[in-house]
Amino acid sequence: MSRIKKYIKPLVLLGLILIVFVTGCGPITGGGCSGTQTQGWSGFALYKNVICFGSMEGKVIALDPVARSENKTFPSESEWSYLVKVSTPGSACGAVCAPSSSSAGLGIYDTPVIVEELVYVGTYTGKIYALNASRGVVRWIYPREGYDTVGAIVGNIVTDGKSLYFGSANGKIYALDAATGDFKWEFQTSNKIWTSPTIDNGIIYAGNYGGNVYAISAETGKEIWSIKIPSAVSSSISIYENSLYFGTFDRYLYAIDKANGQEKWKFATGNWVWARPVIQSGRIYSACLDHKLYALDALTGKELWQFTAESPIVSTPVISGNYIDVICDQGILYKLDLDKGTKVSSVALGYTAYGDLFAEGDTVYLYARDHNVYAVDTAKGIVSWKFSSLLK
Amino acid sequence: MIDIWYIAILDPVLNGLIALSQVCYNSFGLAIIVLTVAVRIVLMPLTFKQTQSTKAMQAMQPKLQELQKKYARNQQKMQQEMMRMYKEAGINPLGCMWPMLIQMPIWIALYQSIMQALAATPENLLMLSQHLYSWDIVGQAIPLNEEFLGLKLSQPDPTLILAILVGLSMWVQQKMVTAPSTDPKQAQMASMTTMMMPMMFAFFTLSFPSGLALYWVVSNIIGIVIQYFVGGGWGYFTFPSFKPQPQTAASDQQRALKEGSDKKN
Repeated sequence: MSRIKKYIKPLVLLGLILIVFVTGCGPITGGGCSGTQTQGWSGFALYKNVICFGSMEGKVIALDPVARSENKTFPSESEWSYLVKVSTPGSACGAVCAPSSSSAGLGIYDTPVIVEELVYVGTYTGKIYALNASRGVVRWIYPREGYDTVGAIVGNIVTDGKSLYFGSANGKIYALDAATGDFKWEFQTSNKIWTSPTIDNGIIYAGNYGGNVYAISAETGKEIWSIKIPSAVSSSISIYENSLYFGTFDRYLYAIDKANGQEKWKFATGNWVWARPVIQSGRIYSACLDHKLYALDALTGKELWQFTAESPIVSTPVISGNYIDVICDQGILYKLDLDKGTKVSSVALGYTAYGDLFAEGDTVYLYARDHNVYAVDTAKGIVSWKFSSLLK
Repeated sequence: MIDIWYIAILDPVLNGLIALSQVCYNSFGLAIIVLTVAVRIVLMPLTFKQTQSTKAMQAMQPKLQELQKKYARNQQKMQQEMMRMYKEAGINPLGCMWPMLIQMPIWIALYQSIMQALAATPENLLMLSQHLYSWDIVGQAIPLNEEFLGLKLSQPDPTLILAILVGLSMWVQQKMVTAPSTDPKQAQMASMTTMMMPMMFAFFTLSFPSGLALYWVVSNIIGIVIQYFVGGGWGYFTFPSFKPQPQTAASDQQRALKEGSDKKN
């Protein structure tokens, strides 16, 4: 008995330390101390009558809105899903090592892009998949079998119809042949890229986490100009006429000249502009993590109106007719008047979306954090249908 | 409760660390070291008190053993007498634990700050936005550079080097303050604690972000330095000796026996 007693005191002390550590690291990492989890936040791309997106379970899924509204068993005739397998644990997967099981998927951040019959998606494990848009069958994968992956792809792929362009966490911008997946060029930047590049008139514009913005020739991959700004670029870049628009981590929305990178104006916000600014008819609509949606004059940066939501706005809003739809972190989807910024209607979904919103007429599609795709009729203020990506 | 934790402890540590990293030439590792030194300086009065308390407790050991013998059959009386003795000597028996307990929230805040500030995943980076102050210095430091001396601060050290450093530095620090006891039971217990704590922290190092392990190593080294100067040298820590062992009575006896048997032959 005395032998047991003498061990109690030190064991209690060590146990207390263990409990403090385990409970102490819980709130941040979601209960785990050993690392961080990636989930993904893909938006949608339209192909004929189906919408494609990358799921949080690592699948590329094509949904037919008609079949979903009729509650047909998935997959219906025009629907499919493709699991992006993680077969190389830890390979160029950014900060997170992929699960060791080859059948497990890793959340997809990239919104798919479609060129003719192919749907392209980039993964967090650093691969680009080209799938047949009708059947979800792999046409090609880059890098080829046996070659190193390119680093985590978090931003979207952009295309000019012939080539694909994307940034990677390894700080490089890549160009691939869209039809074959053959490598065309790569451009090394000073820091990692977690946002999407954009293309205009044969020039790629991209920002990185080193506070640089680059203009690169889409044909050759050579730098045309680059600038250094005081903080890293927090959002993807949008283009309107002669200007580029993007947010930064020091809480500004910048407008720079696309010819030389010279600053035109900057607008102070209350937090990061994480979502890509949306531009139409000389107005820039910028969602911000300070709970606000700002409407600014694209030329001068003058504020036209602002709308305050219940919580931060992460996802890129979508314009549909005379309205703009935006969702806040509490899962409230707002329909606002484009001209005045006044609320027309709202639907409380309970779960937010981080990926871009997608609209077709009065229906807004979003991929929420509860793994459901919601089709919301914003005119009626109702959820038309929802679909869980947790396919069995 | 969680809000208080964020507002009062986590957010100041997080923003302080990020601002420090900007001051320290964009080095988050250097910022952790500077913060560790600052924490130890703030806790210096408690550390002095702990050292004095430990020394006083050790000085009282013979008297305590007498009490234990005297009141071996009356535990309650023994406890009362011990408390009276502590009171007369002006010692708080739990005094030596305060610096450790006070450091606990700092460890947790530091762990959470490292995980959040380095934002290993896009979700982490997004979450970080809600905990940052609107200081320019903070905004300009994001996202942080997680590389330091070949380590990725948001991830565990894949080699055993950091785990060994954590374990070794903690073991040395504990050995310096742990007095050898004449009571075999107490000696065994002290020996077990001295070994298990460093082993446990070394084990933690294998799965915790190396930024936190960096904090432990630096903190332990500072602790050793303070103990060296305040406690007077290396205390109860003895360096392994490579000189020939002095002859003991037992070996003398064995030699005498051997010599005796040689003479008989």
